[in-house]
Amino acid sequence: MRRRKKTNLQTLASFFDIPQDIVLDLPRITMLGNKQVLVENHKGIIEYHESLVRIKLSQGELIITGADLMLGNLQVEQIMVEGVIAAIRYEA
Amino acid sequence: MLLLNILNYMAGAVKIRISGLIPEKFINLCIAQHIFLWGIKKDGQDLYAWLRLPDFFRIRPIVRTSETRVRVIRFFGLPFVLKKMKQRKMLVIGAVLCFATLSFLSSYIWFVDITGVKTISAEQVRAIAFEHGLKPGAAKSSVSAKALEKSIMLNIPEAAWVGVTYNGARAVIEVVERTLPKPEDKRPAHIVADKNGVVTEIIVLAGQPAVKKGDTIKKGDLLIKGFAPDSTTVPASPGAPQIITIPSQLIRANGIVRAQVWYESYGEAHMIKTWRQRTGQKRMAVALRVGGQQVWLKQLDPIPFNHYDQETIHKIMPGWRNSSFPVESTISIYHEVEILSTSLTFDEAREEAKTAALAAVQSQIPENAQILSRNIEVMKTNEADLVRIRVRIETIEDVGQLVPIQ
Repeated sequence: MRRRKKTNLQTLASFFDIPQDIVLDLPRITMLGNKQVLVENHKGIIEYHESLVRIKLSQGELIITGADLMLGNLQVEQIMVEGVIAAIRYEA
Repeated sequence: MLLLNILNYMAGAVKIRISGLIPEKFINLCIAQHIFLWGIKKDGQDLYAWLRLPDFFRIRPIVRTSETRVRVIRFFGLPFVLKKMKQRKMLVIGAVLCFATLSFLSSYIWFVDITGVKTISAEQVRAIAFEHGLKPGAAKSSVSAKALEKSIMLNIPEAAWVGVTYNGARAVIEVVERTLPKPEDKRPAHIVADKNGVVTEIIVLAGQPAVKKGDTIKKGDLLIKGFAPDSTTVPASPGAPQIITIPSQLIRANGIVRAQVWYESYGEAHMIKTWRQRTGQKRMAVALRVGGQQVWLKQLDPIPFNHYDQETIHKIMPGWRNSSFPVESTISIYHEVEILSTSLTFDEAREEAKTAALAAVQSQIPENAQILSRNIEVMKTNEADLVRIRVRIETIEDVGQLVPIQ
């Protein structure tokens, strides 16, 4: 049921040409090389180490691994992770 | 990002260390409370983060709920600078006083400069400026530059334009002078010869001729007399000088007397030339004179050059009032020189002698002289390597010179 609702919303969004991240409450992730990751529309931080950052999303979580990771700019809407990024992974 | 930095500076920012079991919880609570964090870094178990000073006073409940401990590590920004200033009041007062004094003193005139005066006396301009209050120690606001400019223009007719400008504590009065035509000299005068020669042409416009064409004249001879032609005098036949009985009226003689003039000069050149050339090697000796004693700080003994030029520099401390310091230093610089010689051919030496001879005579010949002939002659000398040249130049030129009648 939930699945179908999502699909309907997506169809609606593409019909009205509205950005999907707003309609579907999805994170927007912008990467600058392996130096910066900007995660917008997040739900908070679960865990933070120098080599690992876990960010809570509306569904599941985003795991960023790397070295010398630093949270550059922390706000309600966005998280900026700086450092040497090795991998980005989704986990349910 | 620059704007953000400025805002952070104005508000002040602190770096805190968050220690506890779950520092991430503190971060999430901060985000929820719209507390802006940046530069978050984890070092072992502790978390470091920057936040603004106003936000720092709001984190107390968050610290309590997240069960962490917070400690300030670093801080920067205007609030902290102001706090420091409050502790060091005299420094602030001193700075304010310094600027106040500077601006107060710069509102006064300390120097009055007058530029552009050539014939007008600067003292006259200064006196007018003084009357208008433009003097060292006067406030700028008390002097009306416009009125002063007008006053100088009225009082000194030779001034074409006057500008008064302030350049810091310096008032500059710039004067542009009017160029007045020179009054014509109308005093009676004779025309006399200023060179020896033979008259080739005489044109009298005013006065009476004293010589005729073909006459030999010496320097100082009267050429045209400054007397009005006497109507009663019968013009003499050409060739015979006129007889003037009584000088009826003195006038300013005018006319052109052209004469043939000879110039002669000599020039010499040696066929073997020696000269001294500095090699660039130099040594310095430094001596200090205290009272009557001379102390060598650096001495050269012996001087390591065969041939050298000596240059001595005296350094004296600037005197104060009338007394001068009894300390004086002397620096002697020894430049090594080489003595070089070259030999010239006869032609080269002759050219050089000719150039020297011509240069010597050229300055005597006026620019508008008409050169008739130039005779260059090599003369015999006793010395073998010496070339001597004689130059003879014949010109026709205006030899007249006005001399006022006493």
